[in-house]
Amino acid sequence: MIDLQGYGPRLLEGALVTVEVAVLSLLLALVLGLLTASAKLSRHRLLHRIATLYTTLIRGVPDLVLMLLLFFGGQMGVNAITDWLYYQFDVDIFININEFVAGVVTIGFIFGAYMGETFRGAFLAVDSGQLEAGRAYGMSSRLIFRRIQFPQMMRHALPGLGNNWMVLLKTTALVSVIGLSDMVRIAAEATKATHEPFLFMIPVAVIYLLIASVSEWGVARLQKRYNVGFGEADEWNN
Amino acid sequence: MADTPIPLEVRDITKRFGDNEVLKGLSLTAHKGDVITLIGASGSGKSTFLRCMNLLEQPNEGELIVHGENIAFKATRHGREPADWKQVERIRAKLSMVFQSFNLWAHMTLLENVIEAPIHVLGKSRKAATEHARELLDRVGLLDHADYYPAQMSGGQQQRGAIARALAMDPEVMLFDEPTSALDPELVGDVLKVMRDLAKEGRTMIVVTHEMSFARDVSSQVIYLHQGMVEEAGPPEEVLGNPQSERLQQFLAPKH
Repeated sequence: MIDLQGYGPRLLEGALVTVEVAVLSLLLALVLGLLTASAKLSRHRLLHRIATLYTTLIRGVPDLVLMLLLFFGGQMGVNAITDWLYYQFDVDIFININEFVAGVVTIGFIFGAYMGETFRGAFLAVDSGQLEAGRAYGMSSRLIFRRIQFPQMMRHALPGLGNNWMVLLKTTALVSVIGLSDMVRIAAEATKATHEPFLFMIPVAVIYLLIASVSEWGVARLQKRYNVGFGEADEWNN
Repeated sequence: MADTPIPLEVRDITKRFGDNEVLKGLSLTAHKGDVITLIGASGSGKSTFLRCMNLLEQPNEGELIVHGENIAFKATRHGREPADWKQVERIRAKLSMVFQSFNLWAHMTLLENVIEAPIHVLGKSRKAATEHARELLDRVGLLDHADYYPAQMSGGQQQRGAIARALAMDPEVMLFDEPTSALDPELVGDVLKVMRDLAKEGRTMIVVTHEMSFARDVSSQVIYLHQGMVEEAGPPEEVLGNPQSERLQQFLAPKH
């Protein structure tokens, strides 16, 4: 067995942090992505502009710069608000933006923009007759979204979403920069202490690969589920 | 008469797309059991007129009264809109539509298509909806296709399935938008047969069609539209048997 020189358990804890950051950011990104896509597709001008500003901003600024901005700038902003509340209303609260929250929010925010574009394209790919049939049968727009639009859109969105998720997973390595003890940071510390880069970085690479493989399997299963009814006719008939 | 409200009354509907006025004041009354066919060249406005009846298109002017209920409109910046979308949804559920391109929901099996709106719009139980759906699929000759997806069926089968989906709503009026126009000629007959049976059992139907034999044999009233106006209307033997205007005579003349 490989001797991780006592860093084994910490590395595993780090892997858990990586997974937590990735999954929570993914959830945030999916919600933001759906909102962005809806805003971009709506007739409402202001919503459309806000969404466009958001995606342009995110796509034009490096992820690391955004993360540092949010981590340091965000704390200053929160402090300013809590100070103001204290002086104005004598409300004494202290909110600490920790590394974990900052990491999740930044990555979720960045990938929300990418997801938004993926969802937008997928929504546009749904045949309008399918939605019209829903309207003609007295369905509310919410019901149409839930029962027709979303399930049919997912078929088109999944390849892009899967891709975004892989990139998101690897982007979590950036949180080590703002001091969060994910597996990359722990492996870096261990390497510094022991001067054995391969001993720690190779397991890290393997763990990322492992998560990626499991994800690919999951995406393939989802894809199968949302493709029901759309495959080649011969597929079913034999 | 007063206790049974008229299924559908449409008064003085106008519709403009930009500067182009496609409907110039159309009216129609469908009594219970009426089969009204709308005929006319493409661009005459017949499909748009039908789509105004369940408000898939918003008429610029005019009134709609469904089963005695008058649809309320309000003026907005974008023009006139229904005042209460809940009312529109309630009324659409009473006017089921059959589309030219079927529009069965592709991600659901045929049975799921038929029970979808009865469960989620009418609030029926899954069990009751399924029982009813199986009866209807049997009627249109598709019970053995209940678990097929639309992509696995022929156009004619899909359209008969779509008719079963429409019937599952127990509609006041059925709206047919060129139901056989997208079908291969050999598949048209089966769909028309189902529609003839519906007419026979007293369903109230409004049908946009190019099938003159169907219009002649089945309808109680034929309306010939030309450029968004009624050119001739009346019983089929008059309108189709003895057309007055030159345009209608030309329209009905056998094409060479």
